[in-house]
Amino acid sequence: MANVASTREATMARAVPVTSLARWQYLVLGLAIVTVIEVFYRWWQGMFAFTKGLDSTHPDFWTYWMPLLYIELPGIFGAGAILWYWIWRTRDRNLDNLPPQVEFRRWVSFLMWLIVYAYALYWGASFYTEQDAAWHNVVIRDTSFTPSHITEFYMSYPVYIVFGVASWLWARTRLPAYSKGFSVPLTLAIIGPYMILPNVGLNEFGHAFWIMEELFVAPLHWGFVTLGWAGLCILGVLVQGVLRCSRLLAQMQESRAGLSVV
Amino acid sequence: MAFFEVQPPASAQMSGEAARLSRLFDVLFYPILFFVITGTFHIHFMLTAGDWDFWTDWKDRQWWPIVVPVMALMFPVITQYAMWKYFRLPIGATLCMLALWFGAMMNRVWGFEAWAAYPANFVWPSILIPGALILDAVLLLTKNWVLTAIFGASAYGLIFAAANLPVIMPFHLPVDYYGNLLSLADVQALHYIRTATPEYLRLVERGTLRTFGGEVAVKIPFFTMFVCMMSYYFWWWVAKVFSLAVFTVRKKDVPAIQKFVEPEQIHEVAA
Repeated sequence: MANVASTREATMARAVPVTSLARWQYLVLGLAIVTVIEVFYRWWQGMFAFTKGLDSTHPDFWTYWMPLLYIELPGIFGAGAILWYWIWRTRDRNLDNLPPQVEFRRWVSFLMWLIVYAYALYWGASFYTEQDAAWHNVVIRDTSFTPSHITEFYMSYPVYIVFGVASWLWARTRLPAYSKGFSVPLTLAIIGPYMILPNVGLNEFGHAFWIMEELFVAPLHWGFVTLGWAGLCILGVLVQGVLRCSRLLAQMQESRAGLSVV
Repeated sequence: MAFFEVQPPASAQMSGEAARLSRLFDVLFYPILFFVITGTFHIHFMLTAGDWDFWTDWKDRQWWPIVVPVMALMFPVITQYAMWKYFRLPIGATLCMLALWFGAMMNRVWGFEAWAAYPANFVWPSILIPGALILDAVLLLTKNWVLTAIFGASAYGLIFAAANLPVIMPFHLPVDYYGNLLSLADVQALHYIRTATPEYLRLVERGTLRTFGGEVAVKIPFFTMFVCMMSYYFWWWVAKVFSLAVFTVRKKDVPAIQKFVEPEQIHEVAA
């Protein structure tokens, strides 16, 4: 792996225009990965949910739906673990003397990670969660692993968890303030939605053993509501970002390199 | 008059490059804000007011005008707090309702209609944006959250019924259904069966609404107005928590972090 510090020193030697500050290709790559996965599952649901997914005791269900579950959980978390390890392994071990230009560029990268996390969070918390209501209002469940749940709980939630933790680790390993203290809003904005997945355990226990059936606003579901509130702590991250980047811009204007960012 | 004085934006005091960098930050953060609000606001709303928002037959004249605006008030107030207090941007409520509308419409089309085959005119989302516009406009004009709670939240609660009236009115037309007086929405509900729990196997409107009728339907928005006014105070108070920009720092790390954050952002904890 390239040494972060030596790369930084090498790039400091040349000034580049601020217009090339953002590595847009990585943002596009991240959004594309999320989009491909999420749209594939929506297509799969359209093709096979009502034809092969209504009876969990039928062999077709074990051909078209359960294999997805067996692949996606280890696959998504396995890929996530590799990503998290790579972010940690390539951490910057010298954050005390970061030039403002470098730190500002890292803030841009950090925001791109958050964009991918937010986009994945939209798919999981908004699109597929309300879509679950559509499924449960036409089909009485005979399993906890419905076609809607296999997509929603065990694919879309892990995807945003992976990118959320990656964002947190990125900040922890690349930004000075985040490496020396725990950002309360960032931690809450990641941990809250993350905890929605364990809360699925409570939800499915209730549906299986208390036969709640499918009133969507039943109190059993309110754990999801309160955990979702934590995501709004992104507002605190915004304040942290504006405070720090304002200082960085002032420092960059004063520095000899001016506003040429590397 | 001071009201009409134009202050130069902060970016005008920066160099051109600094202004561009500042706007780059904005360009990157708005998608984060939009998608996070869509995800979190939508999951909050769908699991508290969802059934009243999903189905036309649940859009009655008693509970729908109360539950939906009251439950939908939390996120706009919290976002207004952050965007106004720190940035003087009067966009909090409108941004939230736009995000909610986007999230709801995406699933009503691709989930309820395209996948589960419910007709679009049975599962359309409630109209909340006019109330949000008023909430933001009152905050912008008064520059005072207390006045916004009194007048803005009141108007937000009152206008919900009026804003949705053109859409819901056709579905409240009476139908003689095999000798029973039903609304068109009730007939829709009988034809598009939801899972058979008592809450779905019923006529949503009953009791005094079917007997007293008109006057009760007018009283409901005023009750909503009152509840929204009280709720605004509560959520504005709670909003401080969501905008906290603090770092918890071990005592030994405090000197190291002081270079990078403002003093009030440091919350020292035991090592």
